[in-house]
Amino acid sequence: MKTIAKFRFRILFTISVLLFALSTQGLLFAANYPERGDPVAGARVWADNCSRCHNARDPADLRDDQWISTAFHMRMRAGLTGQQTRDVLTFMQDSNVPISVEPLVFAGGAAAKAAESADALSGSAVFAQTCIACHGSNGKGTVPGAPDFTRSDGPLSQSDETIFQHVKLGFKSPGSAMAMPPKGGNMSLTDNDIKAVIAFLRETFGQ
Amino acid sequence: MSTVDKSWRLCMLTCLLAIILPLSANADEKYDLLQQQVDALQQQLKQVQEALQQYQEDMSVKEGQVEQVVTQLKRDVAAAEEWKNPDTLIHMAGYADVGYSSVSGEDGSFGAGRFAPIFHYQYRDKVMLETELEFQLNDAGETNVEMEYMTIDYFLNDYVALVGGLFLSPVGQFRQNLHPSWINKFASAPLGFGHDGAAPTSEVGLQARGGFQLGGMYTNYSAYISNGPELNSTFEDGEYELEGISSGGKATDVDGKKVFGGRFGILPLPHLEIGISAATGKATVTVLEGGGTPHAALTEAEFSPVFGSLPKNVGDPEEGSDLHAEQARDYDVFGMDFVWGLGSFKLRGEYIKTKIGAATEGITASPGATWEAWYTQLSYLIPQTRIEPVIRYGDFNSPHASQDQTQWGLGINYLISSNVIAKLSYEFNDGESGTRADTDRFMFQLAYGF
Repeated sequence: MKTIAKFRFRILFTISVLLFALSTQGLLFAANYPERGDPVAGARVWADNCSRCHNARDPADLRDDQWISTAFHMRMRAGLTGQQTRDVLTFMQDSNVPISVEPLVFAGGAAAKAAESADALSGSAVFAQTCIACHGSNGKGTVPGAPDFTRSDGPLSQSDETIFQHVKLGFKSPGSAMAMPPKGGNMSLTDNDIKAVIAFLRETFGQ
Repeated sequence: MSTVDKSWRLCMLTCLLAIILPLSANADEKYDLLQQQVDALQQQLKQVQEALQQYQEDMSVKEGQVEQVVTQLKRDVAAAEEWKNPDTLIHMAGYADVGYSSVSGEDGSFGAGRFAPIFHYQYRDKVMLETELEFQLNDAGETNVEMEYMTIDYFLNDYVALVGGLFLSPVGQFRQNLHPSWINKFASAPLGFGHDGAAPTSEVGLQARGGFQLGGMYTNYSAYISNGPELNSTFEDGEYELEGISSGGKATDVDGKKVFGGRFGILPLPHLEIGISAATGKATVTVLEGGGTPHAALTEAEFSPVFGSLPKNVGDPEEGSDLHAEQARDYDVFGMDFVWGLGSFKLRGEYIKTKIGAATEGITASPGATWEAWYTQLSYLIPQTRIEPVIRYGDFNSPHASQDQTQWGLGINYLISSNVIAKLSYEFNDGESGTRADTDRFMFQLAYGF
């Protein structure tokens, strides 16, 4: 009798799983492939999930097409949702552009002035949107390789021009096994946004 | 009128003519000159008009050519983009490692390690075929090839993927996510989490897995039905006892009874995951240690020293019916795991317990047995460097005292890049005296994830 009950439970369990799977089919299925995700959300997925198991891979390690299969492979391994997969895929694809060696012109003088530009996001908004996933709300870094902004010999000991170039072009800290992608992976950031966040970093974490 | 007046008038007329006539001649010359200039201008205008007409004709031809070139360029660009985004993607990933190991009291040796390519064939965002092969050079210099997993994944929607085939066991974390050498921070697997330890390694069956949000928290899950593992038995001291679990996925289900299991993980914080997993079903003895199945053992002379005292009523070897005499035993697994990352610190741990029930019938009837293992590991990537010390403690308990073992492991890794890691690891092993479980081991491993 007990065996029959156990068998029925197993059958019921299997049917439940299949019904759950089928009932949710098509609800949020990607209409187009590859449907573009949100790179800012993708940066957070990348920072929160990848390093749980392995060292986070540098976006520049793979081409766009290689990231597609890799992202879907990781969806299976890490139990990501479809939306998380699209977000992190978009982040990786946006972030794997080669780092330029051409110096940029840091026009505009003091970063604080630039932050007043009408079309610039506030520095705190840029930080909360793009940077916080890896650098953390305390600026000390949440993922291996992210530098500590609060150190006197940290990134903020450099000039605005240098930091601007590092943010805009991407940068690999000395000793770090991976690089920060250009614009932190958020290609929508403008020069003024970058200047604004530099001012925010200095105001919040500067010595 | 006087003669003087006439003469005066004639003189005046002559003078007037003398003045007017030259002026008239000069006006004619200017007219001719102007006429010539007008003619020349008309000629030039005509030439300009002709040139303009020619230019317009040329431009119209060039515009057509430009359109052709632009159209061709568009085609070329589209063709150049084709490889980036076809409906079917082919991709290879994987890992490999080489190294050196030395067991206390023995000579060390280099090892070719493993080459484990992972192939992906993906149709859009609907279907993915995944397979990992493992090539390994054995002590005799021969190459062993094993299929670690081979699945066809069907992405039903954003929250569910159906997986069919040979898949890594979702029970626990190490086997399904941490065993690749470029991910494992130690040069060896934790005690009991390697092949044929306490933890299941792979299953053949059907699985549903995915993730979803629960409140503000992400979760992940897997649930499966499979053929389940098979058991090894041995004959010692006049009786049978369970030797081990052959936990690699099997393409047949000798007892016809399926195993059900799965894992549920929650992420209450961004860098914290806690998982609980379980499996239940039936498993049957199919192998007697020393080689062969119970059926084969009865028909092969080489096992006579062990099986000389076997009961006589074990069935007809020619019909190969011995396996049917083996009783399917209860098979239950329970596991817990966690990982917590805090900046450069990474703390993880895992516990697994596998319990096999007793069998009162069959050739290998014997009491049940329990395998249990756990480990915890702490690693720290020193900021601004690529150096990562790691420490691990593990404990493995089996039904056989000779296999029980505890282990402290110390290691130091150098991250050549995020996916190429050089590892120096040392195991302080504590087991039954005189057994291999009691010997320490030094390992160097260079692992490459690709």
